[in-house]
Amino acid sequence: MMLMKKENKIKYANLEGIMHPKSVAIIGASNNPDKVGHVIMQNYIDSGYPGKIYPININDPTIMGYKAYKSVLDVKGQIDLAVIAVPAQIVNSVLEECGKVHVKGAVVVSGGFAEVGETKLQDELVRIAKKYSIPVIGPNCLGVMDPRSRVDTLFLPTFKIDRPKIGGVSFAAQSGAVGSSILDLINNEGFGLARFFSYGNAAVVDETDILNYLANDKATKVIVLYIEGVKRGKDFIETAKRTTKLKPIVVIKGGVTDAGAQAAHSHTASLAGSHEAYDAVFRQFGFSTATDIKDLLNFAKIFDTQPLATSNRIAILTNGGGAGVLATDALYQNNLVEAQLSKESEKTLRKAMPPIVNVRLPLDMAGDADDRRFGAALEAIEKDPNIDAIMAIVLFQTPGADSRVAATMIHYATQMTKPLVVVSIGGSYTRAHKEMMESAGVPVYDSPTDAAKSLAALINYSKYKKGIL
Amino acid sequence: MELLDYTKAHALLTKYAIRSVESKYVTSAKDAVAFSRGKPIVMKVISQKALHKSKNKLVALNLISPKEIESNYNELKKRAQQFRPYKILAQQMVKNGLEIIIGGKIDQQFGKMILIGLGGIYVETFKDFALRVCPITRHDAESMLQQLKSRSIIAPNAQAASNIMDLILKVSKMYEENNIQELDLNPVILHDNTYDAVDLRIIK
Repeated sequence: MMLMKKENKIKYANLEGIMHPKSVAIIGASNNPDKVGHVIMQNYIDSGYPGKIYPININDPTIMGYKAYKSVLDVKGQIDLAVIAVPAQIVNSVLEECGKVHVKGAVVVSGGFAEVGETKLQDELVRIAKKYSIPVIGPNCLGVMDPRSRVDTLFLPTFKIDRPKIGGVSFAAQSGAVGSSILDLINNEGFGLARFFSYGNAAVVDETDILNYLANDKATKVIVLYIEGVKRGKDFIETAKRTTKLKPIVVIKGGVTDAGAQAAHSHTASLAGSHEAYDAVFRQFGFSTATDIKDLLNFAKIFDTQPLATSNRIAILTNGGGAGVLATDALYQNNLVEAQLSKESEKTLRKAMPPIVNVRLPLDMAGDADDRRFGAALEAIEKDPNIDAIMAIVLFQTPGADSRVAATMIHYATQMTKPLVVVSIGGSYTRAHKEMMESAGVPVYDSPTDAAKSLAALINYSKYKKGIL
Repeated sequence: MELLDYTKAHALLTKYAIRSVESKYVTSAKDAVAFSRGKPIVMKVISQKALHKSKNKLVALNLISPKEIESNYNELKKRAQQFRPYKILAQQMVKNGLEIIIGGKIDQQFGKMILIGLGGIYVETFKDFALRVCPITRHDAESMLQQLKSRSIIAPNAQAASNIMDLILKVSKMYEENNIQELDLNPVILHDNTYDAVDLRIIK
């Protein structure tokens, strides 16, 4: 197709040295626990980073038990990654030294650059990075985290932010604060993390570089992006186009206001501001747009665990009638439709269900529905060609629902070729089962609306992928 | 920023097989009567200074008799004095129909973009439009139509939808291949299974 042409011309930073370094220099490492360099050092020690650690500090010969060096120039071995946590005024001279010893990448966590108007300082940083071809993340960022290679440049102590499980969701955020709070939430979800990037001012490495890296990254199944703006619009589009053919991107855009708005000369210009342009790009190239952080996590969860869908006909199963009605409403509000049972599954279900159960969708299996009833329903629905995806509502307050029902959900959700989501609403007993199911790879939602929105995101992406491939 | 002259805009559209109504600049009432040849016409004042023609009463619709044409010509001329320099354009009157907008603008970050929406006087009220980055594919044009709340009245059947997709693709091609900053075809009137672009704003 004609879309492929430009791809080769785009320049991407090589992030391998940053994500899989065999050695790391922590510049600004300190024995003083109040210093950022101390926290980063501590995190490397705590995470069990298997490579060489070189603390760099002008004053102390030993940092936290490790031999320290006055400069990277004094280190004999190869330094792959330089983490720079020193005051802004000396960042550039430190980066110059890193260039001389051929580091493969740098993360500048220090702030005090373009974000506070120090554009000259940042221009100089970019010049040095280019001179030595160093991919630099930042400045003014948290940096990167990779639970597999145990790289962790975040200057957030482990007691403040939970560390993630290993998984398939990668998350990149421009903003450090939003980035770390969402990361903290991700770490408390059932799914695990592949890579994390907080890229700050994006002076050298920008969102397009990171997207390219994540597109090619085998560990990444789902990409989650928080962006306020992109730097290379055309390159970003080309990269996104290629990425969404491979894996889903869930995006949330900060900054809805239109800074670049000028006096409009036409109706078109007055209607189509910068926010609308981003929205158009996201739609056109198959992104799943989340409008709040909750959606972001909900979408990531379904993409991480469930297969793509054939179409939008949904079967609702429930052990509570009212919840089934709410769920049906939620379907139609999200452009999904209630499926119709095939004659075949009607017959099968009639045999499997007690006489009080009406065999039609939404299938209300009554309050005494147990694991056998749920299992029989899922068995029939899995084979039904009229059904594309399933929303199973399991209310654990009912007499029939217990851990065996959760185990049944796990069995089907992890083996079926159709997407399955579970809705469980409730307190501590429900939460325990929710955790059980989620840690086994079943997306569980707190409301039919959340479940329907997430199914819609999955189905829209499935359609996009089918249409374009 | 410069507004492309109406006749040049018309010629450019014609080159891309985009229908726009037959038009002529007229310099006298007699000229306008001759253009009409007994068929209903529209007259409008064209000026760089007058962005909103209908708001400033610079448009006269559905004129048939020579008497009507003459009195309206004189009236428009009087109102146009504050927007000098100006010209008066006579156009064939297009039948009533649904009005849509097709436009283009350059986004700072993503470049040329194409817009389609419910047009005419409803543009700003309902803001029912869809936007895509150029170049667009037929699949994009289809998804633009799908995105509109007014899709069932703009494209009530498959043939109508196909016509509009063709039109979007033609406009997009024209926009991409020419040095145009902004573009408004508003309204494009849908009638008798076809359409006519009635007002053309092409900004170089």
